[in-house]
Amino acid sequence: MAAKGNIQINLSQVSKTYPMGMVKVEALKGVSLEIKEGEFLVIMGPSGSGKTTLLNLVGGIDSATSGSISVDDTDITTMDERELTNYRRNHIGFVFQFFNLIPTLTAKENVEFATELVKEPRDTMAVLEEVGLKERAAHYPSELSGGEQQRVAIARALAKDPPILLCDEPTGELDFETGKHILNMLRMANEKNRKTVLLVTHNTAIGEIAHRVVRLRSGEIIEVKQNERPIDPQELKW
Amino acid sequence: MNNLQRKLLRDLAASKGLFLAVSAIIFLGVAFFGASFMAFQNLKASYDYSYERLHFADFTVKVAEAPQETVNKLEAISGVKAVTGRMNADIPLKLPGGSVKTLLARAISLPSTSHPAVNDVKVEAGSYFREELENSLLVEKSFAEHHKLKPGDTVSLTVDSQEVSFRVAGIVTSPEYIFAAKSRQELLVSPETFGVVFVPQSVVASLMGKPVINEFCVTIDDGADRAGIINQVEEILTPYGVIDVVSSDEQPSNAALELDLQEFGEMAEVFPFLFLIIGALATYILLTRIVHNQRAQIGVMRAVGYSRRQVLIHYLSFALIIGIVGSITGTVAGYLLSETMTTLYITILKLPFTLMETHWMAMEEGIFIGIVPCLIAGILPAYAASRIHPAEAMRTPPPTGGRRLLLERLFPFLTRLSSLWKMPLRNIFRNRRRSLSIIIGVAFGTSLILVSAAFIDSVEAILGLQFDQIQRYDAQITFAQPQPTTLTTKVQEWSEVTEAQPVLKIPSRLEHEGNTYSTLTVGILSDSELYGLYSMSGEQTKVTGDGIMLGEALQETLDIDTGDVVTLHTASGLNQLKVAGFIKQPMGSLGYVTLNQAQKLAGDEDIISGLMLSVNPQHIDDIRGKAFQMPVVASVELTAESRAIVSDLFDLIDTMMWIMLGFGAALALAIVLTMVTVSILERRREIATMRTMGYSKGKLAAMLTIENLFLGLVGLILGIPLGYGLALYFFSLFQTDMISFDLVIFTHTYVLTAGLIILIVLISQVPGIRHLNRLELARVIKEQVS
Repeated sequence: MAAKGNIQINLSQVSKTYPMGMVKVEALKGVSLEIKEGEFLVIMGPSGSGKTTLLNLVGGIDSATSGSISVDDTDITTMDERELTNYRRNHIGFVFQFFNLIPTLTAKENVEFATELVKEPRDTMAVLEEVGLKERAAHYPSELSGGEQQRVAIARALAKDPPILLCDEPTGELDFETGKHILNMLRMANEKNRKTVLLVTHNTAIGEIAHRVVRLRSGEIIEVKQNERPIDPQELKW
Repeated sequence: MNNLQRKLLRDLAASKGLFLAVSAIIFLGVAFFGASFMAFQNLKASYDYSYERLHFADFTVKVAEAPQETVNKLEAISGVKAVTGRMNADIPLKLPGGSVKTLLARAISLPSTSHPAVNDVKVEAGSYFREELENSLLVEKSFAEHHKLKPGDTVSLTVDSQEVSFRVAGIVTSPEYIFAAKSRQELLVSPETFGVVFVPQSVVASLMGKPVINEFCVTIDDGADRAGIINQVEEILTPYGVIDVVSSDEQPSNAALELDLQEFGEMAEVFPFLFLIIGALATYILLTRIVHNQRAQIGVMRAVGYSRRQVLIHYLSFALIIGIVGSITGTVAGYLLSETMTTLYITILKLPFTLMETHWMAMEEGIFIGIVPCLIAGILPAYAASRIHPAEAMRTPPPTGGRRLLLERLFPFLTRLSSLWKMPLRNIFRNRRRSLSIIIGVAFGTSLILVSAAFIDSVEAILGLQFDQIQRYDAQITFAQPQPTTLTTKVQEWSEVTEAQPVLKIPSRLEHEGNTYSTLTVGILSDSELYGLYSMSGEQTKVTGDGIMLGEALQETLDIDTGDVVTLHTASGLNQLKVAGFIKQPMGSLGYVTLNQAQKLAGDEDIISGLMLSVNPQHIDDIRGKAFQMPVVASVELTAESRAIVSDLFDLIDTMMWIMLGFGAALALAIVLTMVTVSILERRREIATMRTMGYSKGKLAAMLTIENLFLGLVGLILGIPLGYGLALYFFSLFQTDMISFDLVIFTHTYVLTAGLIILIVLISQVPGIRHLNRLELARVIKEQVS
């Protein structure tokens, strides 16, 4: 079943080169892609294929060397620093592979750390309840399991109520069952809350839950596959 | 409190050891500033207030003798506020008690019934002169305390060979003798040999048969032309034989106090400045580490939507809090310490009035100077944090470049060293900022310890030079009036005396190209064994009869050099002498000639003013009594007593320097601890990896120790000349005609300083190494950012 919304994110001939120590890495080479509102898109590819770079560019935490990216008809590649900050605040929720929680803040405070930035956030405890962590709200990251930490990270992303969720290997550090649980949550966010989800993964099986799967290799799109019938994350096997 | 602020406080709590160490440096700097600056303010205010209340003279003119009505003439000069005419003479004084104790007293006359208009005294015990008390006098407080004199006691003064008894009416403090100096040449005089008393003018007049004035003390209106007024006063007094004009700046007590104030002022500026530079450096290092460690967190903050400004302010707040904690606690400690310092000080000085105020301005300045360096130091890392690209922040940073060192290319054998030596060597050059910060920290710590130690050593050296090398006699007798040289032989025959040598001291005014200086010209035997003269290069020298040897400070005061001609104004007229050379003179600035030359200067008379004695050690306690059996003896100075009194005074400086040394060591520990701990913690991931490879804790600790000791040694090598230069600068401030410090640092001091610094480096490693030993290897290795 394909997503039916309007084009929300439009990448046109996007390239990205960055220095890594003493070498230059060509992470993306003229990538063009359209993503619809409410779409669940999985981006796959081997290490160094440019998946995370693509996600970062859409998230406005990295800038393209050339090409343009528009989100809701606004070109984010021409935004200045202040506009980009506002864009991230109001449009994007990030979920990272390594959770990236602030270690000195509790689960609840980590979520509030993000909600304090927006005018109309969701209720922190309600979101934590949604991810099943209401009872663990006062715990610090070091007192939570990997899966719990990732759920806090998802809560942090959802609580701002942004239209787009960008997830970079959200199950990379988790066991099979926990991973499925996390994917389920993202799926719920996509279906119930109408969030557009871009999920980067190595794991080919995860592609089956997406509306569309984009394969990257060496900075280029080598395949775009539409999933007519995305499966339920609970049915996944790997 | 929002969660960003909460994060700030919890981050600080998480590295509280380092945070407190850096705050402690700021604390030390601000406390030092507060203590010395507020003590400076307290003392200055106390001096000023005492001078104002007691109408301290703007200048004093000594004359041979002048009539009472001259006072009115001087008062008529425009700009003159008040004039007091008085008699001022050094005469023998006999103390009460079983043993006859005679010494030289400065007897100063004061109005019999009212307080003087200039140079008043404050009665501390008893009362001012009272009509019903015949022949009463007032005793200066430090002198009275030393001899336990109290109102009602009786002392006698010898006036014109006639012994007159006086009853002590009161104990007083005087603005002229806050520091009880006899003269600029004899700044530190034992109350065993010198004291100040005040006698009623009416008594002086009846004893002398007429009112006698030989000194005029003058105050002038605010803003009046002092030089112009002095000229007019000198003109009026010329017929009465002007001997000397002493302005308030040159007045011995005031000049000594000014020197002290200057010392406080300098200390209040330079030392805190050094501390705060180090504090800023430590803040920079600590914050750079925090930013480095929180790269990923910064990435998240930026990704979530925090602006650059918010990130900048967040990280700058770390520096701000260090500054606030250090400077507020430092200011409070400084305030308390300033009271202790002031109290310590005024127990030695006899201040008529003491003002201890709360110096809000100084406190505000303390807080300001504590916070500003932290903020400046924090700007760079905080700015760097705000500029971190969020996407980059979440990527593992590339490893720092590793390559063969230039040193290894030059000395290939280094590459064959075991990893125990090779790794520390490469680490030193791999992260130069880290290495440099340890070197700078150690260098600054070393220099601070060395400066304090230099003061302590130099005080010891000055005592040795003055009392072992220069003043070799055990006792010096001073006569009330000049005596024939033949008296030397008589004293030489005393069984207590092993050697007696004559001395003739002539009050003289030295002049060279318009520069003048009032001092004593001292005549001694050319081959004197009881008085040593040392050239500026430290070799023993002697008076030869060919010209005059001058104390080192006079070279600058008179702008004169060896071979130049100096004019001597003495009671018997003008004489011109060639300058034969300059000699080391830690206390006072005198001129030295042979006894024959001095006798010629004194009018070609075969006279002496005193005798220097070498005394059998078992008779040292009896020599004073024996000397006073001669009626002509005015005072007997025992070198051991003089040494003790100078030593007591220097004890204060010594105490302060030990405190400063403590500050220096604490500072060195705080800075090295911060730097070394940061350096170790920055490498926790790398060290954890090495542990997993099989390196033992002991071997890793040894590697870190080798690295830190090497850096410590480089810092030590740089810190020693830095400390020496700093000490030279401080000592240059204390080169005056009254006291002249030579910088002396004993070899053992260098060794002890080096030992202390090495110990500090070793202790500083302990927390870092302990932390590494407790690492959870698996967790650390997985960390994205070390």
